[in-house]
Parts: sequence; structure tokens; C-alpha cells
Amino acid sequence: MLNKLLKYDLKYMIKNMSIFYILAIFFAIVTRLLSLPEHSVMIKILTNISSGCVIAMIANIIINVMMRSWVRFRDSLYKDESYLTHTLPVTKNELYNSKFIQTLVFYFVSFIIILISLFIAYYSKDNWTIITNYIRTITIGLNMTTSFFITMAIILIFLEVFNAIQCGFLGIILGYKMNNGKAGYSVLFGFITYLIAQSIILLLVFIYGLFDPTVMELFKTATINIDVKAFKSLAIVSSLLYIAIIFIMSAVCKKELSKGVNIE
Amino acid sequence: MNNMELLEIKDLNKSFDNKKILKDINLTISNGKIVGLLGKNGAGKTTLIKLINDLLTPTSGEILINGNKIGVETKKVVSYLPERTYLNKQMKVSEIIEVFTDFYENFDEKKAKKLLKDLDLDINQQLTKMSKGMQEKVQLVLVMSRKADLYILDEPLGGVDPATRDYVLDTILSNFNEAASVIISTHLISDIERILDEVVFIDKGKIVLQSDADKLRNKEKSSIDEIFRRMFKC
Repeated sequence: MLNKLLKYDLKYMIKNMSIFYILAIFFAIVTRLLSLPEHSVMIKILTNISSGCVIAMIANIIINVMMRSWVRFRDSLYKDESYLTHTLPVTKNELYNSKFIQTLVFYFVSFIIILISLFIAYYSKDNWTIITNYIRTITIGLNMTTSFFITMAIILIFLEVFNAIQCGFLGIILGYKMNNGKAGYSVLFGFITYLIAQSIILLLVFIYGLFDPTVMELFKTATINIDVKAFKSLAIVSSLLYIAIIFIMSAVCKKELSKGVNIE
Repeated sequence: MNNMELLEIKDLNKSFDNKKILKDINLTISNGKIVGLLGKNGAGKTTLIKLINDLLTPTSGEILINGNKIGVETKKVVSYLPERTYLNKQMKVSEIIEVFTDFYENFDEKKAKKLLKDLDLDINQQLTKMSKGMQEKVQLVLVMSRKADLYILDEPLGGVDPATRDYVLDTILSNFNEAASVIISTHLISDIERILDEVVFIDKGKIVLQSDADKLRNKEKSSIDEIFRRMFKC
């Protein structure tokens, strides 16, 4: 049944997100077409407007994936639509897993669309050189390969955002257990869950630091001259901790959901 | 089926904020009955129905359907019509039919399409473009197009004009599987009285009467509606 639930969750996201994807790519193409070598002042103004639209659409995609994931989760499990959701012959675990995978898929798709939009709108040899030089400056300073740096940065950002979304899910589950002020409690519990998750990660990094002096140095000094080894260790350990926290929180969400719901 | 009852509710309680909404509910319903769950507004009818459908969690007690606790197996055999419009209004009727076909093995797609056609409802129309009454008819058709063991209809006549009420009742009568049972919750007793086999009166969260409808009428020498009015006179 998970595949069937996922089919409808993905359909919902496609319906709601595709407009932003199309607009982001559309404005990226317009920006590219207007960025011709010879152009008038008016074309320059239009290029800037179009470029602004690309950035706005990218911001929209990032915010909307997060918001739509939460809204879909709440509407499907706790609003009018939940009358259908909870009477379908599926387990609570399947309901949660479907939302989890849907969010994962759409964050990945959104990430790809953002990269494609940026590439179409702004790729040029000059821009590419500026970016690669900038990244090279950082990676040389940190004594690591460019591919390692980019991979770790992407993984960490992805995990951090995904963790935040899941904190929202747990917040909604806990908030809707209350008899009154469900929406307000959802936000409050989501925020508290996020703070707790971040604190746990920080605490575990500190514990790891007890065995790795280079990481412990980060807790002791106020300078930003990060030791290369410490950065590498920190990136890898943080990623692993995020993954562990995401899975633990997912288990907590499923456990809480399986205790039952109280739909208004 | 063996001696197992279709629906068994044992010592069921439900509280919100320490306020008891349902108190020690014990109820048994066999196969092949049309049962009227009757009570005033706020008596606890919808709470009881939501508990049977896993939309609320009991404070204590047990609900069994065909001997199974509420879960995937019971949801396969219970067809539920809530008192509100609950389907995703962005969807077309045809898409909702697809959802029911995908999830309910006992959903009869052909029957649903035929019933919708009889009602002049366009399956390519979005729910959001339909009136509330039309949406309710779509929901009723979907629910009655399942070959379920237990149909639970919460206020099926609530938002329906008097002229359509007979149509709704006829749809219920002519489409439910005869080995199945139907629980109809309503406070519009006179409208459904003619189709009831059993009645359950609920008041202030307690079941105050469960009886065969004909026996009750003969004993009290009056209609169910009159008996109800006498019992719950303000």
C-alpha cells in the first residue's frame, strides 16, 4: 500500500510545485536569452528583472517544499482529508513513510531544478572561473579536494533542512494531540523539537571531541582558523549524527502516530 | 460467519480534558441489520462513530469488528460516510474513484460510475466546482459502492433537502450488501424510521436503550420518533 500512498502524495506535490519549477526554468531561459553581448539599456533592465525573478522562484521553491510538506502532512493526517486517510486500510507507519519519502524526493527534485535554473541563467566561462577559484581558495586553505568539499556541503545542507522538516512533522503530531490550540502547539513543539535535535547533535559532537582534540579545539577557541582535520572530522561526524537523528526522530514520529489520533 | 458478532464494543470510554464524552458504552451489532443510532445533538453519536473508525483514540475499552481490533483488517470491511465533506476538493470525481479503486478491494467502480450517472453528476468535474449537496451525493455513492460488512453513515440526511432524503434512503437500501449491517446516526428520526431494524438511543454519552425497532413500537404503541421525543423532552 505504501506505493499507492506515495503515488497520491507525489501527485499532490507535483500539482503544487510544478508551477514554481516551470517558472524558475522559464525565467532562467529568459535571463539567458536577454544576456546577449550587445544590448540596450532597456534590455539590461529586463535582464535584471528576469534575473530577480529567477532568484525569487528559487527562494519560492525552497520555502514552498518545506511549507507544502508540512501543510500536506497536517491536512492529510489531521484536517478534513484525514477522514479518508485514517479510514484507508493502511498502517500508520505506511502513512508516515509515504510523507517521509515524498519530502525526500521533492527536496532532491527541487535541488536539481535549482541547479538547472542557475546553470541556464548564469553559466558562462567567466562566472564558472569565479566560482571555481572561490571554492579552490577555500579547499586549498582546508587542504581538501573540491569534490569532497562540495559533496560534504551539499550533504550537510540537505540533512539540516530535512531534519528541520521532520522536526515540523513531530511538532504537528504532538501539537494535534492537544485538545485546544493545536496549530499553535504544533509550531511550538516543532521549534522545541528542532532545538532539542540541534542540542543533541552539538552534545554528541562535544563527546566526540573528547576523543579527538582537533574537534575539541573548536569548543575552546574563539578564532575561526579551523584546523583542517577538525573540519573534515566535523563534517563527517555531523553528517552521520544528522542521519542518526533523522532516523530516530522518524521512529518517534511513527510511535506517536501509532498511539492514535484525535480528529476534530 | 461463526457466532462472532459484527461489531462489539466493550466498556468504551472517551474523555477530553477530563470531561467524559462517552461513558461505559457496551454495544453489540449483528450482521444484516439496519441500526439507527439516535440521539440529540451533542449526545455522543459522532464521537462513538469516530472511535469505531479510528479517528479518535479510546480513553479505555475495546472495539472489535469481526473479532479484530480497529486496524487495517477492520478498515477493509467498514465503509464510512462522515458528517462532513472530506474529500480533497482539488480532485476530480474520476480521480477520487481512482483513489477508492486503488485502496479498497471491495470497491465496485462500475457501480459507482452508474450511480453517479443516474444522479447526473459529471465524473470529470472538480469537487470544488460542485455544490455542497452534490459533494455529499458523491460521497454517499462512493461509500455505498463498496461491498462492505459494515456501513457507518453519520448524519447522511443532515445537509440534504427533504425532497432528496428519500433518494438518499433508497440509495442506501438498494445498494448495501444484505449480509452487511448499516449504522445510521441521525436526529431526523421520522425520515429514517421506516428502514430501521434496530434502534440505539444515546444520551449524554450513555446508551440508554437498545431494542428491536418493531418490538419497541409495539410495546410503546407509538412511532420511534414519538418515543424519542418523549424520552428526551427538554
